[in-house]
Amino acid sequence: MRLFRHLLFALNSAWQSFWRNAGVSVAAVVSITLILILAGVNLLLGHALAGVLDSYKTRVSVISISVSDQTPLATVYDFKQQLEADPRVAGVTFVTKDEELQRFSADPRNRDLIANIEGNPVPAKLEVHVKNLSDVDAINNLGRTWRGADRTDPTDYQGDFIARMVKLSAWLTLAGYALMAILVVVSVVIVMNTIRTAVYHRRQEIEVMKLVGATEWFVRGPFVIEGVMTGVLAASLALGLLLGAYRPFVERFRADLFFIPLSYDPRFVSTLGQDLFLGGALLGAMGSYIGVRRFVRI
Amino acid sequence: MSVIAPDFSGRTVISFQHVWKRYPNGTDALRDINLSVPEGDFVFLVGPSGAGKSSLVRLLIREERPTKGKIFVNGVELGRMKRRKLPHFRRKVGLVFQDFKLLPQMTVHENVAFALRVLGESRQVIDRRVARALDTVSLHGKLGKYPRELSGGEQQRVAIARALVHAPRLMIADEPTGNLDPATAWEIMQLFLKINADGATVVMATHNREIVDLLRRRVVVIEDGQVVRDDRAGRYHEALQASALRA
Repeated sequence: MRLFRHLLFALNSAWQSFWRNAGVSVAAVVSITLILILAGVNLLLGHALAGVLDSYKTRVSVISISVSDQTPLATVYDFKQQLEADPRVAGVTFVTKDEELQRFSADPRNRDLIANIEGNPVPAKLEVHVKNLSDVDAINNLGRTWRGADRTDPTDYQGDFIARMVKLSAWLTLAGYALMAILVVVSVVIVMNTIRTAVYHRRQEIEVMKLVGATEWFVRGPFVIEGVMTGVLAASLALGLLLGAYRPFVERFRADLFFIPLSYDPRFVSTLGQDLFLGGALLGAMGSYIGVRRFVRI
Repeated sequence: MSVIAPDFSGRTVISFQHVWKRYPNGTDALRDINLSVPEGDFVFLVGPSGAGKSSLVRLLIREERPTKGKIFVNGVELGRMKRRKLPHFRRKVGLVFQDFKLLPQMTVHENVAFALRVLGESRQVIDRRVARALDTVSLHGKLGKYPRELSGGEQQRVAIARALVHAPRLMIADEPTGNLDPATAWEIMQLFLKINADGATVVMATHNREIVDLLRRRVVVIEDGQVVRDDRAGRYHEALQASALRA
């Protein structure tokens, strides 16, 4: 019961203090909102990028080995079995020359080309699904050194491109983390300063509380709640604005910003909401906790 | 140099033992203070401005710690008291100041109740104890008034009522009549005498010569950070004269 009364007192004080310093409080909410929007955009871009990378990864983990026309079928099956026995390989599919030609012809872009050729110029293929991206290079070498492979163009694997993609993704992740770290520091400082103003405005009350024997956390509690309130309010605003703008933005700019992998993913919205609310509350609590530890001592 | 042996048989409420207070700017606000206050005593701390009275009061409520020496209140050494114990200590001490320290946005009732609200007391307990405290200071009819609607004397009564809600055994007052006219100051003093008669120990820093001379209680004179005189039934004037003569 006593705890409940303390909580009620803290909530009431926090609410009053928030509105008493309305100017500073609103400025803090707006600043944290902008920061959370930046963080949200960062999360959305990260999510879109991760989607693109995932699709690349599944695509590049398949190596297509061109089989020379002179290679006997028995040799091909031997090699296929050898590959299937390899623990790094998930599966191997043999595509005959005819099947490959059919596939090639199915693509409307190749229609003119097909009309002008005779016979079957496309090689048969062994499509190897590699379990881990990191093993693709080794399996590719295995394919290239196989004597049954087509000498002119043994595999379609582009090691350089994949290495660059993996590196780029690592850098982008790092940049995302760095941006998040900067945003966290800035928001904590903003909340700390709001709390300092609130403490200044309530210094008389704090002094009296000390005199009549209030505990340190009784005095500090309302300020921490005020910080959390600021964070949660900012998170709601940021989430509202992001949700409002997410789909229209993606639809309007997808064509113009082709170099950024924009996509609308309704399933990601709840994750984004959770992250923003948790982030806002934590930032508010952290900023005000550090603030009261510095400015409220009994 | 004599050491006042602390007597914790339930008789000594306050004991200062070779207490020094040096501020960061190098000034010694208090120098080798030795003082013992038995239970039920009424002590005036007098001396010129800047002599160290307020420093002594701040040490006594553990707003500051001594640079050297020990201070005991009810047998507990304040310098060693943990921060989390501090609120419990302050609840046992009634504090009254020259500037009243009332919260302007709260009514008389709310100001007094505030001391109990911070402890999470129930409304029934708060109402009962606030009514009793306001009764003691004869302010029962002004419950709904705000401090700005009260005279200085009435505001000080509210502050005293707030100090009384915890039923403290020790009252510490720093210039409680400093902002009041002589007639009102006298009324406030009557209140402190009543509180003292009810058994509480009272330590009061004051400049009010007339009151000190009239009451003839214990007078401790502080000058230049030192206790220069400690009279059982002292007078402000004589005390200062005597110390001036000695100097």
